Amino acid sequence: MSKSISTRRDALRNIALALTASSAVQLTAQQAEHVHSAAAADTKNGKYTPKVFNGHEWATITRLSELIVPADARSGSAVDAGAPQFIDVLCSQNEALTAIFTGGISWFDAEMRKRVKKEFVTATQAEQTALLDAIVAADRQVRERNAEERLFAKAQQYKGFSGYTVNPGSDLAPGVIFFDWARRLIVDAFFTSPIGIKDINYVGNQALSKYEVPQEAIDYAIARSPFKVV
Amino acid sequence: MVIGSGAGGGTTVRVLTEHGVKCALLEAGPMLNPAKEFKEHQMPYDLPHRGAEDGGKAYFGKGKPFGYFSTTSGGWELEGEPYTVAEGSEFQWFRSRILGGRTNHYGRMSFRFSPYDFQPYSKDGLGFDWPVTYDEMSPWYDKAEKFVGVTGTNHNDLPSAPNGQFLRPPTPKVHELLVKKSCDKLGIICIPNRRAIVTEPMKGRIQCHYCGQCGRGCQTASAYSSSQVEIFPAMKSGRLKVFDNAMAREILTDGNGKATGVVYIDKNTRREKVIRARAVVLAASACESARILLNSKTSEFPNGVANGSGVVGRFLMDTVGFGLSGYVPALEGMKHYNTDGFGGAHLYMPWWLWDKHNKLDFPRGYHIEIGGGYGLPGIGSFQGAARRAGYGQGIKDTARKEYGCSIGFAGRGEMIPNMHSYCEIDRNVVDRWGIPVLKFHFKWTDYEWKQARHMEKTFADIITTMGGRVTGLSAAQRESDGISTPGTIIHEVGTVRMGKDKRDSALNKYCQAHEVKNLYVVDGGFFVSNPDKNPTLTINAFAWRAADHLAEEMRKGNV
Repeated sequence: MSKSISTRRDALRNIALALTASSAVQLTAQQAEHVHSAAAADTKNGKYTPKVFNGHEWATITRLSELIVPADARSGSAVDAGAPQFIDVLCSQNEALTAIFTGGISWFDAEMRKRVKKEFVTATQAEQTALLDAIVAADRQVRERNAEERLFAKAQQYKGFSGYTVNPGSDLAPGVIFFDWARRLIVDAFFTSPIGIKDINYVGNQALSKYEVPQEAIDYAIARSPFKVV
Repeated sequence: MVIGSGAGGGTTVRVLTEHGVKCALLEAGPMLNPAKEFKEHQMPYDLPHRGAEDGGKAYFGKGKPFGYFSTTSGGWELEGEPYTVAEGSEFQWFRSRILGGRTNHYGRMSFRFSPYDFQPYSKDGLGFDWPVTYDEMSPWYDKAEKFVGVTGTNHNDLPSAPNGQFLRPPTPKVHELLVKKSCDKLGIICIPNRRAIVTEPMKGRIQCHYCGQCGRGCQTASAYSSSQVEIFPAMKSGRLKVFDNAMAREILTDGNGKATGVVYIDKNTRREKVIRARAVVLAASACESARILLNSKTSEFPNGVANGSGVVGRFLMDTVGFGLSGYVPALEGMKHYNTDGFGGAHLYMPWWLWDKHNKLDFPRGYHIEIGGGYGLPGIGSFQGAARRAGYGQGIKDTARKEYGCSIGFAGRGEMIPNMHSYCEIDRNVVDRWGIPVLKFHFKWTDYEWKQARHMEKTFADIITTMGGRVTGLSAAQRESDGISTPGTIIHEVGTVRMGKDKRDSALNKYCQAHEVKNLYVVDGGFFVSNPDKNPTLTINAFAWRAADHLAEEMRKGNV
């Protein structure tokens, strides 16, 4: 950590020098590499020992991370991006968050046992995705219902309104709530990692002597907008 | 001596020390060390918590206001320093506790008032007129703009955005060009933004390097902050002594209409201390200054120092805020470029209907700020995409497709001062320093609600005209929260207002108390109205004028 901060400070000194000399510096690409390689050495070469989770929980979080953000041709998975470590670090500082994860994992196992007599992590990929599909469907239903309930509360203000019904909650509710937490942290861990930032192709956080917008981008967007010159 | 180190206090100590006056500056928070505290250029992966803060506080709604990387030091809730809110009212009071105050992180929007902003009552019969005119203040805005460094452009016949002393603004980004074309079609004016960022080297400050992270604090002081641009240089003059962690309790007076000093609590030792001074300048923020005045009760000033009129704490205003976002398919698949720019948007829309009030159902106006671009990913950035996609490959595909295609609009409008919006001392509650706290009363009226509805319709029009779709909730669902919670725009002003008549104002036009000639208030407290021009530049201009006035009065022996 101290290394990354001193690197950043050196970089800032470079900005000042470079701007005085009126030339652009591309500081963050190399800097990012440098910082990341230091961090990656901790987790990849040496084996990461979870601070909070037991082996079974760790395996489950790792599997969920792969399922939620899998690797593809362009980039690695949430596991490659350090999602399980991210969750472990935060949980090690927060008992309430730990309870959400340990409780949620147990619920996933219980639900999977009911379905196929296996724990989540030992079930087949098809069995795992069947459960996630059911949870995502229930999640969508909950979100739609919440939106409907807001409308319903609003509609009650209108005289003579009647006949509005709200669907009852699903048995999957605990799974929906845990899945939402797991997805939130796993997706954030992916997109805030060097892998995710490269995947999404964020090209800023640089020191420029002049700010320019490529004409090519302007032409592209105008041509696709209602303002295109016919 | 000066209490508070934001735009008002910073300007005051700089100008006074330049005049050769020795100053003491009290700040309720600690000394600032930009090199150590500003998180400029950090990437989320530099930290194990990636910006979610220890234990994932941000996920529980307990993170720092504006996120971990912002340089805010303070917030709407401070441990041990509470305030109360009257039943039926809503108000959130933001307080900074750091040298430089909110200027370390603010949006740097720098809009001088329009000529019509100084005489609003004369124009539409609502609120009150200022005791000064635009012609009187224009040279002070010129000085403030030249010193602070403000980008912008001059225009003919644009009363809502008067000409000034501007630095070259940066070129517009692609989504902003689409917004401008949309505005052109709708008859809305869209011009280069006016922000306190130096785009060329200025007085030892190097030019902006376009990292877009002004809110994290600017190491190079290319973005204005009172700490780096005014207070640190003033400290080098040898005429300024800063007392940090010093919480002002009350102003001392001599029984003959003169302030003699200030009582404060040294937070490090929790002991009360006194500083005597020839003159006292309050710049503690509008509500904190009102609190200090109201807590300074003597037989001479039974309602609080300088409050014979009873207006201190009254006519509290915030800015009317409303936001709406949209999705713009025209931007899908565009080759990514660096959209960081100089932090805020490169264009903005000043109020464009100043002569059309007979066609509107609300008074005054608002300006529009634009958001969008390929932002630095952070905690929460892709949660919408994740929810829509469910899980798996779809999350990556959705995030890649939608990244950079969203735009946002924020309306910032003028509130009319009203009798229901004020702060007073809560006699039942003290903070951890033993100082009686403020109790807030606040109500938006129909004027503000109708203005917010106009914003909503306008933003939806701009989005759909550029081929986009509104991504906020539908109007029916949003109606209950279709206006900002009072205090959350952090433009609270008006609680120690100036005026010609000492019976209905606390200060004269030089920010000098009518009743106490060696007492000035140079924060947002002096505002008579709260136009749709973010307050900081006006505080810079009036504080400069007040400091010159005070120095001159001292020279003449009047103070």
